[in-house]
Amino acid sequence: MLKRSKEFIQAYKEAPWRRQMQMIGLVATGVIVLALIAGVYLNITARSATTGRLVQQLQSDRAEMEQSIEDLQTQLAFILSVEQMQKRSSDLGFAPVSPAAIMYLAVAEYQGRALGADLAPRAGSEFGAAPTLPAAYTDSLFDWLAALFADLGGY
Amino acid sequence: MPREHTWRYLGMAAAFALVGLLILWRAFYIQGSAEAADFLLQSEYYSRLLKTIYPPRGEIYDRNGNLLAGNRTVYEIGVELSSIQDPGAIAFALSNMVGTDYNSVLQKINTFNQNGSVYGILDDYVLPEKIDLLRAYNVNLPPEEEGSYHCSNDPALIALICRPHLARSYPERDLASNVLGFVTQDSNGNFGVEQKYQDLLAGIPEEIWVPTDPNRVQDLPDIPGGASLILTIDREIQAMVEDVLDQAMETTGAESATGIVMDPHTGEILAMSSTPHLDLNDYQQYVKLYDDNNPYNRATSEIYEPGSIFKVVTMAGAIDLGLLTPETVFNDTGIFYYGGIAIRNWNGQAWGEQTMLGCLQHSLNVCLASVGEKLGADNFYHYVQAFGFGYPTGVDLFNEAAGQLRLPGDPPQLACTGEDQDNCREIYWTDSDLATNTFGQGLSVTPMQMVIAVSAFINDGRMVIPHVVKGVIQNGMQYNIPPQFGGTPISAETAHTMTQMLSDSLEFESSLALVPGYRLAGKTGTAQIPDPNTGVYDPNQTNTSFVGWGPVDDPKFIVFVWLERPETSIWASETAAPVFADIVDRLVVLMNIPPDQQRQQVAEH
Repeated sequence: MLKRSKEFIQAYKEAPWRRQMQMIGLVATGVIVLALIAGVYLNITARSATTGRLVQQLQSDRAEMEQSIEDLQTQLAFILSVEQMQKRSSDLGFAPVSPAAIMYLAVAEYQGRALGADLAPRAGSEFGAAPTLPAAYTDSLFDWLAALFADLGGY
Repeated sequence: MPREHTWRYLGMAAAFALVGLLILWRAFYIQGSAEAADFLLQSEYYSRLLKTIYPPRGEIYDRNGNLLAGNRTVYEIGVELSSIQDPGAIAFALSNMVGTDYNSVLQKINTFNQNGSVYGILDDYVLPEKIDLLRAYNVNLPPEEEGSYHCSNDPALIALICRPHLARSYPERDLASNVLGFVTQDSNGNFGVEQKYQDLLAGIPEEIWVPTDPNRVQDLPDIPGGASLILTIDREIQAMVEDVLDQAMETTGAESATGIVMDPHTGEILAMSSTPHLDLNDYQQYVKLYDDNNPYNRATSEIYEPGSIFKVVTMAGAIDLGLLTPETVFNDTGIFYYGGIAIRNWNGQAWGEQTMLGCLQHSLNVCLASVGEKLGADNFYHYVQAFGFGYPTGVDLFNEAAGQLRLPGDPPQLACTGEDQDNCREIYWTDSDLATNTFGQGLSVTPMQMVIAVSAFINDGRMVIPHVVKGVIQNGMQYNIPPQFGGTPISAETAHTMTQMLSDSLEFESSLALVPGYRLAGKTGTAQIPDPNTGVYDPNQTNTSFVGWGPVDDPKFIVFVWLERPETSIWASETAAPVFADIVDRLVVLMNIPPDQQRQQVAEH
């Protein structure tokens, strides 16, 4: 009886090679999943690092450009200085006018030369400042997923 | 798999597991060790860099937005000690291209080496043009990569680092130099608005930690730059006033010339000039141009005895108290005794019967001393102080003087003659001071005080507070400064009477201050200057000044002129008055002020 039952089990027992294949498949699946996760992680991390470096470079570029703008503004002011403008106008044949040579015409509703124009918006009419670095550059993957789920949960 | 090989696999697995466990054990051991805190600190230190961000200094504009003070890129030249191949080559290049002293460069490099430095600064504030020369030192080699701070691609100069930064620059050079002041290499403002508004202009440097890990990159904080200033100065008017005063110095031989143009209704200074002028981009010349006797801005920092120009204060006080009117007659005998001294007129002659208008017109000392006697010391000094003399006007410029005013009952003042401090004596107020003060001798004022006092005649008796800053731009917003008023020394009626008297006196006198087509009001002032060695007034050394305004029916400007020790004439009517007319002649064009007749015709239609 015992012998028959062993034979019965033996007959229906899974073949050893099949169990090995299943084990190998299971391990291979695990390895592939791990490799996929590592790959995605490496990809995201590498892109994040590249973007981070880019942001740092852009910050440096911005500082240099701001410095350059200041420098160019001052250089322009040198070119447009009173001394230079008087020399240029003199070279072009212009001369200071005397009061006797001026004819004044009355122009209705003309308020005269606008002096002291504002160089910036007057206080009290300010707009909110825009963020300089979008959230996409600072959020982590988890932050992004959390925000995504939060958005989906809202619908 | 044969069974006899199983132990080998198990052995290898055990070995790997053991190594893994050892690594884990070591990691936990380090975490719990005494040095763990140090390691954490080191990792923190290397994970970020401390960066100091200096905000750019705020700009200074004139009232029309023309840049008067900005920032230019200059370079700091440093050296990386480890990369030096030939110190001589570096010194040679810097001395040839930049102008740095050859021996000084070698000495600095030696000092850096002895100190074990990694990096040292050889020169600073080097102009871009010189850096370009250095960069082109060896053009046959491949160019440096973009963003590199190396000065040159020459291997012999590869240790040189040219790092750009901003430095103060003045596009108009010496224009309005007395108002602007200047910034030295330590970033501190000196004189003028640069010093007065140092904190506002400089901004606040901020230290931030920048992570070195690109995954932890953060947005740099937006550190606000220094606030920018918009001045009340009009660049064109300022240039014109400086031009006229420079010409006046040449033609009259005066030692110095000072001028102020102010909007009488708002107190905005449209122009302020004082000789000598300093090229602000070469401020090192300051020590050659200025000393205790030559202050940086005479208009606010220098006091002088104003002379007859001060008679307007005496006359205004007497009229305001109702003691006299323009028609009140005074018999001028040519001499007036008061307080133990004899007062005489400028020409030493008697002018006979004169109205108060005539007294001002002919600038009679005897008449005004008599008016002072009528006023009495209490009333006279009440008005003098009410007009702001003896106190700073509050103009927003550095180092304003208050003037010198001796009052009855004041403690004695020490007066020294010459440089000998032993030759000093105590001076008390006496009655004779009242007599001389009435015509502007024996007291000292600043030009700014005279202008502000006169503003009361234009503003119905109210004085304006002068200012040179019209607005401040901070965080992208502009904050304008409204006009402010000081005291009201006289009534509106007195102010109108004085305006009429000073306008008539100019016309009746056919003054050289008159400008065709425009009705103006004003007063000359000629004051003898005391000899610093003897303390005695020198009749041949005078301060000549003129203060006037116009057009009388709708005043747009007050103009003040002061010439120190003119040589062609000692009289203000022949020196300062024509300069006033020159300024007004060009001012009405720049300010678009039509002649009175045309303006009144337009108003009638």
